[in-house]
Amino acid sequence: MLYSSTSQQQTKEIAHTFAKTLVGGDIVFLDGDLGAGKTTFTQGVLESFGYTEPVRSPTFSIMNIYPINRGLISKVIHLDFYRFNSPDEIRTLGLEDFLEDPKIIFLIEWPEKGTGDMSSLVPTKTIHFRTISENEREININ
Amino acid sequence: MRILAIESSCDETAFAIICEQDGKIVVEKNLLATQIEIHKLYGGVVPEVAAREHVSAIFPMLMESGVSRDGHEIDAIAVTAGPGLVPALRIGVELAKTLAWIWKKPLIAVNHLEGHIYSVWHHAIMTTKEPMFPSVCLLVSGGHTELLLMRDHGDYQMLGMTRDDAAGEAFDKVANLLGLGYPGGPIISKTALAGDPNAITFPRPMHGSGDLDFSFSGLKTAVRVHLEANPIDRVNTANVCASFQQAVVDSLVDKTLTAVLQHHPRSVILSGGVSANQALRSILHDKLEKQFPDITFHAPDLALTGDNAVMIAVAGLFQAKRNQFVDPLALVADPNMRLAS
Repeated sequence: MLYSSTSQQQTKEIAHTFAKTLVGGDIVFLDGDLGAGKTTFTQGVLESFGYTEPVRSPTFSIMNIYPINRGLISKVIHLDFYRFNSPDEIRTLGLEDFLEDPKIIFLIEWPEKGTGDMSSLVPTKTIHFRTISENEREININ
Repeated sequence: MRILAIESSCDETAFAIICEQDGKIVVEKNLLATQIEIHKLYGGVVPEVAAREHVSAIFPMLMESGVSRDGHEIDAIAVTAGPGLVPALRIGVELAKTLAWIWKKPLIAVNHLEGHIYSVWHHAIMTTKEPMFPSVCLLVSGGHTELLLMRDHGDYQMLGMTRDDAAGEAFDKVANLLGLGYPGGPIISKTALAGDPNAITFPRPMHGSGDLDFSFSGLKTAVRVHLEANPIDRVNTANVCASFQQAVVDSLVDKTLTAVLQHHPRSVILSGGVSANQALRSILHDKLEKQFPDITFHAPDLALTGDNAVMIAVAGLFQAKRNQFVDPLALVADPNMRLAS
C-alpha cells in the first residue's frame, strides 16, 4: 500500500492505520534515509496502542522497550542498528528471549546494519520511507 | 569513605575508585574500557572486543582497578542502575550486586542522569564552589537532552526533554551527512571554527513553544535538505557546521534561560557529553553572566563530560551520606529508570 504524507501528523495517522494490522510476534523493518519519518511513524504506532509517555529516537540507546497493555501485545521493542559497525554487535543485545515471546512487536530502524545472511531477524512486514521534498514523504507498506 | 563505582549503561564500561578525605574528593582510579587494551589484559584470548560487549571488559577492568580480593579498603559500591540499554546495564549491576554480597558492603543504585549532574561536584568540591540549590540542570549527550530542577541533593523535578532526537545524536547524524566521521560533536565544533554561524538559517525547533521541551529531528532533516539543494556545501562544510551548531546552541540556551526565568535558581549546571562543546559552554555562561549575574555556572572537567564512573562514584557518595542504599538481592537494572522527585 502506497501512502503520501505531507506532515508528521499525517505520518502518525498512517501509522495508526498500520498498527491495526499488527499482531504479536511481528518484526517490522523500517527502511529509509535520515529524517524520512521512521521514528515519527513508530511514535504513531505507540500512540495507537495507548502509550502516552515520550517515544524518542533509539539511535543512541539502540533498544527502547515500551510496555503496553493490549491483550495479545505486551511490549513494543524499538530497535535502531544505525550505530553498528558490524552485524555481530547484535549479539550483545540478547534478543533471543524477546524473539521467542509471541506477545512482542519489533520495529527496527536501519535493519540491514544488524542482519547478515544467518540472521534470525526475518521481517514479517517492511515499510519503505522516501523523502520527496522538505515536507513530503512517500510511505510504502509491504 | 572510599567508593568503588561501575558504569555500563550504554557504550562505555567504566570503573572508578574515589575517596573522600577531609571534605575533598580524591579520584584514585578512573578507567574506561575504550582506553584500555582489553584483549591485552586477557592474554590475547579474546581477539576483539565489540562495542557494548561489557561482559568481556568487566573482569579485566576489575583486575585493572587494583581493588583487593576481599575488598577490605572499599566502604561502599555504587553502580548505574538505569536508564540505559538493558543487557548493558545488567552486566554492571550483576557484578556490583555480587561484590556487595560477597564483601558485605552497602550497595548504591545510581541513576545515570544523576551521575552526569554530579560530574560537576568533583571539581566544585576541589575549588569550594559547589552549586547552590535550587539549580537548573541542562543535561545534553548522545542519548539525552533534558532540563531538570534540582531542589536539593537527590531531589529533582523534570522540566523538559527532547521529543525525538537528543542533541548529541543530531551532531553525530549531521557529521555523518557531511562525511566527517564519528563521533560528530568534536569534529563539527572544530570545523565550525572556520565557518560563519549566520551563513545558513537553520530552524530553531520548539522556539517559543511555551514549554521547556526540545526537538532536534527536524533540524537534522533541514541540514539534509539544504545539502541536497546546495551540493557545494558538502565540500565547504565549515558554514554548515557553524550554522548547525549555532541552531543547536540557540535552542539549548534559549530553553535554559526560560527555565531560569521560571524557576529562579541560584546555580545552573551544564553536563553530559555535549557539555564539552565550547560554543555551548561559552554562550550559555556569557548570557547567564549578563542577564543573571548572581547565578553561578557549573560545567564538568572536559575529562568527565562523557560517560565515566567517577560521576557515578560522586553521586553515590552523596547518596551514601543520606544512607540511600539498596538490597543487593533485590536490585534490578531499569532501562527506563527515572529520577526521583
